[in-house]
Amino acid sequence: MSDFLEAENEERALEQLHEMDCTDGLPVVIPTSDRVVKFILASGLDGDMVLGELGPAMGIATVEKVAVAAVMAGCKSDYMPLVIAAVKAAAEPAFDLSELQATTHCTAPLIIVNGPARHNCGPVASGYGALGPGHRANASIGRALRLCLINIGGGRPGVSDMAIHGHPGKFSYCLAEAEEESPFPPLHVSLGFDTSDSVVTLLGCEAPHSVIYSDDADDPEDAEKLLHILSVGLANLATNNAIFASGTVLVCLGPKHASALARADHTRESIQERLWQLTHAPKTEHMKYGGEFGKAFRDDPEGTYPRIPTPKNILVMVAGGIGLYSMVMPNWGGAANANSAVSVKVESEFFCAIPGLG
Amino acid sequence: MRDGYNIAKRGMPVVSLITEDFWGQGTFVAKSLGMPDIPRVKLPHPVAGLGEIKIAAIANSVVETILDSFENE
Repeated sequence: MSDFLEAENEERALEQLHEMDCTDGLPVVIPTSDRVVKFILASGLDGDMVLGELGPAMGIATVEKVAVAAVMAGCKSDYMPLVIAAVKAAAEPAFDLSELQATTHCTAPLIIVNGPARHNCGPVASGYGALGPGHRANASIGRALRLCLINIGGGRPGVSDMAIHGHPGKFSYCLAEAEEESPFPPLHVSLGFDTSDSVVTLLGCEAPHSVIYSDDADDPEDAEKLLHILSVGLANLATNNAIFASGTVLVCLGPKHASALARADHTRESIQERLWQLTHAPKTEHMKYGGEFGKAFRDDPEGTYPRIPTPKNILVMVAGGIGLYSMVMPNWGGAANANSAVSVKVESEFFCAIPGLG
Repeated sequence: MRDGYNIAKRGMPVVSLITEDFWGQGTFVAKSLGMPDIPRVKLPHPVAGLGEIKIAAIANSVVETILDSFENE
């Protein structure tokens, strides 16, 4: 069991949590014993069940500690299976959380939700403004993970989280795939899971970069032009991916852009392949602008290099409202696993609704 | 600091070079990894991109401290 703090009222408790650097700087719901116990009960799991170890503090993430974060973040108890899956993904060694928390790059873990849990444990928004304000599940699930990274993982700005600027997604960064609007199979199915599974995919990445393209069904080159524009945003020379030639990036297609690509018989795999080809660039460019990293091709300066290692390192999903925009998220590309995405199945069969608890 | 920890774990003498802005992070990581006393020497921040002349000056200013650290291990 965790230690208890005492305060004369909730207002004082909030100030105490701020003073102890236990918040993200915004007000939190006070994690009283009563509230936390209800969230643990709702998870259907034991409070002392260990979900993983979170660096750089190497704190042990138990169900109870995650429930504390979920309460503080303003979650409903329904969201617990998604928060737990996100924490398990962050604790996977392949996610390199310690390095991700400590780097000077701005990277933040983006939670992508697929499968029935989008509805059952949410609803997690996937349409208009899914990455913006106004969606309780998106806002509070992403925030709960952040509070775990602060209070269990020990990621505090300027001390152990050395991001030079950070980005607003470090408060909360969560959305669902718009599976019903997508002409492609759901992302998790392409990653090897069953359609009936619910899956959280976690990717440390930059803030979303908007990509505008005015598609035209009468233009035979429509899809190719769109892919070209996406590739420019995805791995331009200012990104870590272009400079490190590593990492895993995300293309979040707006449904309209997804339709334009499907109209040209593109599949997720052919989009990945073509984007990978289009993100090859001259080595001489890298040598000129890559600074210290530009020495990588000093002994073999001819030809081009892939700014993203393989087509599979380009994740493609569909989300957002209907319009001319898609989003691309470059990433850091550092650490032993080159800032990989990690997918974890959501275990919601133990979840139980607690009467009277939102 | 993590590199220093990994080398120390192999039983080899090590001194971590940490810039002053990262000194607190170094201490935090050393404690988290269970080796709070890993020898470390403070450098000015930043050191990247300063050019050879300034880097050499920094190296000259800390080399004795680094050698002393090794001798004390």
